[in-house]
Amino acid sequence: MFHREAGTFKTSYAKDMALFPLPIAKGAAAFFLATVAVAIPAAVLTGLMHEYYLTIFTQIFIAIVGALGLNILVGWTGQISIGHAAFMSVGAYTVGNLVTKVPHEIFGGPMPFWLTIPAGGLMAALIGTVVGIPSLRIKGTYLAIATLASQLIIEWIINHTPAISGGAGASIQVPRPTLFGNELKTPMEIYYFTLFFAVVAIVATMNLVRSRIGRAFVAIRDQDIAAEIIGINIFRYKLLSFAISSFYAGVCGVLFAYYSSIANYEAFQINISIDYLAMIIIGGLGSVLGTILGVIFVQLLPVAIREVVTAYGGYVIANPEQMQLDSLLRTLMIWGIPLLVLLAVRRFVSLGFWTRLIVTLLAIVPAAMTALGVLTYLFGSQFANTSALSAMAASLKLIIFGMLIIFFLVVEPEGLARLWRNVRNYFRVWPFSY
Amino acid sequence: MWKSGLKQLAAAAGLLGLMSAGAVAQDKELIIGMQCDRTGPTQIVGTTLCPAYHDYVALINSKGGVEGWKIKVIEIDHEYKVPPAMEAHERFKKEGAIFHSVYGTPQIAALAKKLEEDKMAATSPGFGSAAAADGKRFPYIFPVAATYWSQATVAVQFAKKQLGGNLKGKKIAYIFFDNPAGKEPIGVLEDLAKAEGFQMRTFGVPSPGIEMGAQILDITGRFKPDFVIAHLFGRAPAVAIKELKGKGFPLSKVVGFVWASSEADILAAGGWNIAEGYHTLQYAGVGRDYQVIRDIEAMYKAQNKEIPKQMIDNSVMYNRGIFQAAIQIEAIRLAVVAKKGEKPTGQDVRDAFERVKNFTLGGLAPPLAITPEDHEGGGWVQVWTVKGGKFVKTTDWQQAYRDVIKKHLADEAKK
Amino acid sequence: MLEELSFIVALIMEGASIGLMYSLIALGFVLIYKATDAINFAQGEFVMLAAYGGAVTLAGSLAGTSYGFILAFLAALVLMIGFSFALERTVLRPLLGRPVIAVIMATIGLAAIFRGLPPITVGASTKTVPLPIPDTPIDLWIHRIPAIDLLGVVVTLLSVAVLTWFFRKSRMGVAMRAVADNQQVAMAMGINVERYFAIAWAMAGIIAALGGIIWGSKLGVDTQLALVGLKVFPVVILGGLDSIAGAVVGGLIVGICESLAAGYLDPYVGGGTKDFAPYVIMIIMLMFKPYGLFGKRKIERI
Repeated sequence: MFHREAGTFKTSYAKDMALFPLPIAKGAAAFFLATVAVAIPAAVLTGLMHEYYLTIFTQIFIAIVGALGLNILVGWTGQISIGHAAFMSVGAYTVGNLVTKVPHEIFGGPMPFWLTIPAGGLMAALIGTVVGIPSLRIKGTYLAIATLASQLIIEWIINHTPAISGGAGASIQVPRPTLFGNELKTPMEIYYFTLFFAVVAIVATMNLVRSRIGRAFVAIRDQDIAAEIIGINIFRYKLLSFAISSFYAGVCGVLFAYYSSIANYEAFQINISIDYLAMIIIGGLGSVLGTILGVIFVQLLPVAIREVVTAYGGYVIANPEQMQLDSLLRTLMIWGIPLLVLLAVRRFVSLGFWTRLIVTLLAIVPAAMTALGVLTYLFGSQFANTSALSAMAASLKLIIFGMLIIFFLVVEPEGLARLWRNVRNYFRVWPFSY
Repeated sequence: MWKSGLKQLAAAAGLLGLMSAGAVAQDKELIIGMQCDRTGPTQIVGTTLCPAYHDYVALINSKGGVEGWKIKVIEIDHEYKVPPAMEAHERFKKEGAIFHSVYGTPQIAALAKKLEEDKMAATSPGFGSAAAADGKRFPYIFPVAATYWSQATVAVQFAKKQLGGNLKGKKIAYIFFDNPAGKEPIGVLEDLAKAEGFQMRTFGVPSPGIEMGAQILDITGRFKPDFVIAHLFGRAPAVAIKELKGKGFPLSKVVGFVWASSEADILAAGGWNIAEGYHTLQYAGVGRDYQVIRDIEAMYKAQNKEIPKQMIDNSVMYNRGIFQAAIQIEAIRLAVVAKKGEKPTGQDVRDAFERVKNFTLGGLAPPLAITPEDHEGGGWVQVWTVKGGKFVKTTDWQQAYRDVIKKHLADEAKK
Repeated sequence: MLEELSFIVALIMEGASIGLMYSLIALGFVLIYKATDAINFAQGEFVMLAAYGGAVTLAGSLAGTSYGFILAFLAALVLMIGFSFALERTVLRPLLGRPVIAVIMATIGLAAIFRGLPPITVGASTKTVPLPIPDTPIDLWIHRIPAIDLLGVVVTLLSVAVLTWFFRKSRMGVAMRAVADNQQVAMAMGINVERYFAIAWAMAGIIAALGGIIWGSKLGVDTQLALVGLKVFPVVILGGLDSIAGAVVGGLIVGICESLAAGYLDPYVGGGTKDFAPYVIMIIMLMFKPYGLFGKRKIERI
């Protein structure tokens, strides 16, 4: 509806090859960049939004870098890897060692970030190439298991080599990055710092996948034997994919070390690898937008669950009478009867789009209340106090996380990116159907 | 098709709703941010310690709060991971917390710098970096309970007593969980080995520590020590007890550090009769024979609620939760008093911590004396032993080899 | 010298018994892969769930009774079979024919769900599965073995025997092998493929129930028990993803190597080689013989 591809003419090759060829795409990209780079910090500065949310975004930006790397390997090249977190660990310890072991006189302080970040990435890329060597001979499941093993082995090596891990504590203090002599330590400064690298990573990935290398990756993913036959050196490109992916992971690890001021392998264990896999699967394999959406989704999920459980639990604790079955039934009746009447009169699918939307939204309330009522009835004792609630929130997070992964795999294998594309395509030709 | 659009709208609406929500601290309320691990590898601890913490706060609130201020606790489960812990810290800041009760060694390590920047104090009882006992170097971290170094020194002192007062020529095995926390006491132990003349060998058990047959075999079959010092957590202590017993090693020659020492570990090992004779180090009292426990029981009765089973079944962890809450609230109380009833800031609470003295909670807590130099409070531990189906107090609060610890702290400060 | 020898022997025996217990878990994994080509990353969680089923049943008034543990086993069995059926229907069916990573991630998602369930439903404290077996180790000429380990070894060997017989001689077993070999042809021959998928998963559930009772009794039951499932991978890679005999041999090798590594390499490296060794062996195996010692070589079709 806002978006016409007809009527945009390109007058130069450069314009034709631009990352965002259509005006609306350019507009959308600019809008989001502005929101993230200007609107949100402004909201925080004026007090509309608390500084705490900046850290959520910071963690999202850091995760975007890592997830893009993993998506390059898994989504675009089709090589399964469950060892991504280990490369982040390598990056983090690289920066930890560089800033503590390289004499401060050379740079007038610890090694600056514009050197440590590439260094961390390169170190991780090196290790990643080594880990990727088996990918020549083994595929699919076996490769997944091999990367799992490499995750554990790398973790073990870091843990047991004091030269790398900095002693029995296996933690290295990392000072804040400095830009033109100022230390970047407020949440706002770190926010912009990580935002910068996230944007660089996004642009780099967008360019990578439309380049020759990107096309080789996709060819390998689709049918590697055929790719080899048409002349792509799959050994070289598979290793390159591992290397690039690990580079991103290494940079992600460095950023995380700067964010948390510490390099510690316990922050990069196998559960993190699985989190990142979940991010790209939920978001959409082989899609930059999908990666971003997936990261946002997975990072916000625990926060959201906690908020909902606390709010709900607080409500239950404060109003125990409301959660009794009979008051719930009453609510159900008040909401449900009109809906039932409506549905009895006309079939659901024959209603218009907006009517269906409104009906569904309205139906959510009684459905949710019934579900919550049943839950309270079953687990009522668990809401005895706030401490039981946080226990429940944590377990719920695991359950919902698992259910979401399965849901996306079964219902929408191409992830949030596909969902977004459906919405966009719908509105492209709206009010027509096609 | 409309399904997907709906999902998008719902998600967006939900997100916006969440982002604009935010708790507002009510008047006369002091907020403590607490981290916990309820679903991760140390859930065996968190699921008892954290509810106990809440119980103590409820008790204080029911008695009018701290000098008129009610305490509100915000708990966040971080599953023993670091990023959620850091996010929790920011969350606590947002809610206006004046204190941060941290849980977990990697978490406190990651937050050390932030705590200093944000001028918020934190405790790390029974975990964390032993170097943090140095109050000058880590002004915002208070171990408040014996660090692993202190536990190591007391363990050696206890072993010395059990072996007749002299360790020369004896063999001590140190079995530990192979992670930074487990490896921390090794330096101190080696110094003590040189000083006291005993031979020490270390046996690392890799995570998750659910089987250690070969290590135990090595200890009992080859090394054959006179005493075993065990520094294990999670499921590992129970497995160790079972294996040692299975190989016929007398458990009365074994002493476990504070996280290998709860009723849950004994039960998971197969029961009290299997663990008979096992010695444990405790940094808080064990059992229900303390006034504060009786007060909490009374509180539950008054509310017509059942006493939580954990208070009885897992009193070790439960009491530690009480201890943790109590000492933090004591510091807050001192801060409020110093501010003449006004709301203290994080910095005030930190300063108040360094004035905590003689706070023993009727024997539940050791005679801590926290000073600006010593944030550990002296490194006191008790030894409780498994006898006849329960824990029996074997020694009273003791500390040992403080000079060795001071030397290590000084070495750390030089790094 | 004699002491050293007895130490090695003890290490090997210890490793072998633990290794066979790993094989028990690996058997479930192999069953699923053999029959349905699905890689089950949630095998450890299956075992944990079964253990919970047993522990919760035993925690009731049946504790200590002699038939209690049979009931617990039955409870675990019913739970696991039910779960497996439900799983197969809701999760595996829709994912048939999808790339491998989909199934892997689905089982990983499942694992997360299973790990989250127990704390909400039955509480997070560690539970036990008290079996009526002696507490003291049993003397077997050269080695003293804890009773639970002996039980584990016996159960594993029995299961292997039963499964081997099943696949060779019984009608259902042959049908399942046909399905594993070539689904289209099996369907054409009149075999109800879907039913056999369900049966395969149910059988894996039974094996998991056995494993759950044994490991739950040995280690205590809480969500950390699922971590033992990580050991499955070196075992099945060594033995072959679809070979029952391979699961046994792989388990033995992994167990013994772990034991020897812990006994001999640990003092030099300061500990932890136990975890390390199986994965190194696994990587070497992957490089040279990815299909394992007994696995079937997969012919890749374009």
